Amino acid sequence: MKSSPSLKWQNRHLGSHITLSLWALVVLFPIWTMIVNSFKFKLDIYKDPFGLPKKWNFDSYGSVFRDSDFFMYFRNSLAVTVGSIILVLVLGSLASYAIVNWKNRQTRFIYLFFIAGMMLPLKIGSIKLLEMVKALGLLNSIWALFPIYIAMGLPIAVFVLTQFITDIPYELTEASVIDGASRLRIYAQIIIPMIQPALATVGIYNLVPFWNDLWFPLIFINNEESKTLLLGVTRLFGQYQTDWSKVLAVLTLSAIPVILLYLTMSRQFIKGLTAGAVKG
Amino acid sequence: MGKKLTVLTALALCLTMALPLAAGGSKDAAKKGSSGTVLTMGSWRADDVAGWTALLAEYKKATGVEIQFKPTNPPDYNATLRLQLESGTGPDLMFARSYDTGIDLFKNGYFADVSAIKGLKENFSEGNRAPWTTADGKAFAIPLFAVIQSVYYNKDIFAANGISVPKTWEEFLAACDKLKKAGITPIANGLADEWDINECFMMGILPNFVGGYKGRLEYETGKRAFNDANMVKAFQAMADLAKYCPDGYEAIGYNDSNALFATGKAAMYADGSWSLDTFKDMGANWGNFAFPAPAGAKAAICFHADAGLTMNAATKHPAEAKAFLEWLCTPEGATVAARYLPNGFYPMISANIKIEDAHSAELYGLIQGKDQDVRFCWPKLMSGDPSGYVLMNQGVIKAMKGQITAKQAADDFAAGLAKWYKPN
Amino acid sequence: MKNRKLGQYTWYCYLVPALFFYAVFMAWPLADSIRLSLYSASGPAGAGRTFVGFDNYIRLFTDPDTSARFWGAFGNTWYFFFINMVCQNVLAIVFALMLSERTMKGSRVYQTIIFIPVTLAILVTGYLWKLILNPQWGAIAQILTKLDLKELVKPWLGDERYALTTVALVSSWQWVGIPAMMFFAGLQNIPDELLEAAEIDGASKLGKILSIRLPLIKPVIGIVTILTFVNNFNAFDVVFAMENANGAPSYSTDLIGTLFYRVGIAGQHPVGIPNPGLGSAIATSTFIMLMAGVVGILGLTKSEK
Repeated sequence: MKSSPSLKWQNRHLGSHITLSLWALVVLFPIWTMIVNSFKFKLDIYKDPFGLPKKWNFDSYGSVFRDSDFFMYFRNSLAVTVGSIILVLVLGSLASYAIVNWKNRQTRFIYLFFIAGMMLPLKIGSIKLLEMVKALGLLNSIWALFPIYIAMGLPIAVFVLTQFITDIPYELTEASVIDGASRLRIYAQIIIPMIQPALATVGIYNLVPFWNDLWFPLIFINNEESKTLLLGVTRLFGQYQTDWSKVLAVLTLSAIPVILLYLTMSRQFIKGLTAGAVKG
Repeated sequence: MGKKLTVLTALALCLTMALPLAAGGSKDAAKKGSSGTVLTMGSWRADDVAGWTALLAEYKKATGVEIQFKPTNPPDYNATLRLQLESGTGPDLMFARSYDTGIDLFKNGYFADVSAIKGLKENFSEGNRAPWTTADGKAFAIPLFAVIQSVYYNKDIFAANGISVPKTWEEFLAACDKLKKAGITPIANGLADEWDINECFMMGILPNFVGGYKGRLEYETGKRAFNDANMVKAFQAMADLAKYCPDGYEAIGYNDSNALFATGKAAMYADGSWSLDTFKDMGANWGNFAFPAPAGAKAAICFHADAGLTMNAATKHPAEAKAFLEWLCTPEGATVAARYLPNGFYPMISANIKIEDAHSAELYGLIQGKDQDVRFCWPKLMSGDPSGYVLMNQGVIKAMKGQITAKQAADDFAAGLAKWYKPN
Repeated sequence: MKNRKLGQYTWYCYLVPALFFYAVFMAWPLADSIRLSLYSASGPAGAGRTFVGFDNYIRLFTDPDTSARFWGAFGNTWYFFFINMVCQNVLAIVFALMLSERTMKGSRVYQTIIFIPVTLAILVTGYLWKLILNPQWGAIAQILTKLDLKELVKPWLGDERYALTTVALVSSWQWVGIPAMMFFAGLQNIPDELLEAAEIDGASKLGKILSIRLPLIKPVIGIVTILTFVNNFNAFDVVFAMENANGAPSYSTDLIGTLFYRVGIAGQHPVGIPNPGLGSAIATSTFIMLMAGVVGILGLTKSEK
């Protein structure tokens, strides 16, 4: 007779826990280093890089909270990142839906057209992009970043979402089509819920590059009000000297919203997955 | 739990969106409220925001013209500036790199011709103007500041080990030897960041080995070969120093070297005058001495023209920009500027500017009576392919690691340059 | 009849917005830069440059110095990809397999921990690991010294033999969370009935993995491989953060991404005069090679239904 699941040795997964805990140590040690050093004075970092500070330096965090500029940068990064991700997901899923369900030579070409964009870094088109942004009058504003990030995020969105939409069995949509439902309704009420894990994947995948991008804010934005967080942080990098405890303080703080956004999205991710499993 | 988390996140985000309205709003209003012309100045000295803002505030008080200092992250300055100039969004005034980098932007029409600026020819020597003058005599920037390459040394460690400031290269090596036997790391320099061993050490000692300014000219005009005995000696000198660098120096970077010297773990450190302020609060007695020349050779020092200031050829405020440049070419303007420049950045104007900081003045004193020259590769050897800078850099690194001999390093240097360099 | 025409019209509406942004803000600038690869570097942008045809490509593949750098970077990037596949992606599959077991406790916590490095700015990751690997005061050096193994302490980031592997391992450390997440999603999608049926048939844990779970996520493996491949060939930040744009030491960590940045965007330090024509040639050549690679991988890992 099989014993009840919770007592089976197999279900304790001892090997898994050991492996994962070891990896957790490998992950958390550098994080510990980052946090601990953000509380040290500059030279103390090198005297003892991994221990607790002997003299606690709260000034790094203090100056972040006192210097309202950092909240401004943070707000800009947040708006740009969240806004771009939402637009990438909406536009990308619409396009993927069309590509999967309207099969002809044009859409096949459009699919490859999108995929090709994954392979070239957008950086090399910087000169043309700068001219375009200037012509549109978007220079020095965060609105310059939206179209760039949308264009950057669409290839991976189309790539992943077409795969997931293809996997949706036709029987599910067939019933609604026979009922006479419009394509838009099928899209909104059936397709989107079914591809939630894919949407969350694409969202999470693009989250970090958008949040941590330095290059495009660097060349488009020069005035303080519109700077993003990482661009603002580079102000702390001098030509020869860098106050690392301040940099670490700012970047520790800036990792928190990203982790929060990740947790929110991954919750959707899990919800979608379990829903799919039950239906599947 | 899931819903709560989403709500919490949303609340946190909304709060942070609202904060800047409360805190930062007033600051921006103040900036926007200023009337009159506003110019922008680009630079790679993100470290000096405070100093320049104060200097420009004084200028505004005197003339009513507001100039905003907008530096860029240093490693990206060249690329960003180029992009901005190419698309017509460059600043009105900007820092100019010397020699080829600056000439290139001038040839492409982005820098204005400033030869006619009042006070430029009168108050700056030809040697000091040269880095920002084209071959046919057009000036494309006014000289702003220069830096000095020297050796920082820990006076306490020297005293404790009975070592005095070396007067010749041989004495220098002997001092290193004595320190190493006493268990102290003699030199803090490393190889990881590559540029520092090249600019702060190799090109710091080169004037001593090649005969200063006149010596360099002989290489450039082809009178001497780039791999002659002097050059080999210089590479050998660097190779000899490898054993006096810290353990694992191949992975020690510029910031690490700073830390080693500042925490007293290394006795000496070859660095530029820009680091004077870094060691201010070191807690030990320290000073500078010039790189000593080999016995019998004339002492020379590297006084390197680092930055010039110029105006955008397409600026919408040419009159105001020109006025600012002219102000900096007067002794009064230069004195005010010198007050706000950080220690270790020396004005290049011919007038006598008093330096207040003791260490800075001592370092400045080291150039008296010595032959002065800029860094060896800068004037003519940089912009070809392969660049003289890169050849020298890789040569020094490989020689120090013992992968090639000093003679091979010199030969590679000469062979690489021969691919494109025409003596002139 | 009417329905079909109406049908086609609405499909256009679905495609056009995405196509618009993509074509205007990505395809056009990139096409322009491919055009740029046929021009020489000198002169101001636009009208000032001269048309040189395939000169840039010829130089890239035949000039001894330039091609040495190109093929060096090419080889280094393949090695970088190899290490990433072996470390990052294998670890990701292993973690995903462990975490997607139905009875695994604490899965969410582990997942979040695995993902945290992804959220760090690469500048910080580079700095932290440089600190840990530092031969003078780094954690690894301190531990090895305490264990009396001082000879094993090497300047890893400064030694041509170890630098690239070290950088690749740090990159794996940072990014393992993303493929782990994707594999986890794929594994969760496997219907429980399949696994239960196998258990009843007496399959062992390893057997289940090899015969059911891995084969069913073959398409995800394909996606991850392609994404790793493409990201590695554009990788730049991790080398820049841990070494410099030259791929120190001695170009051993020079990747296609750093080569492109050095040639086409920033120019050689400290002169900083870029050669956009040659840079575009590098990018275009890389693009062609990538396309070939991606199509190949897509073919190999078509989904099993």
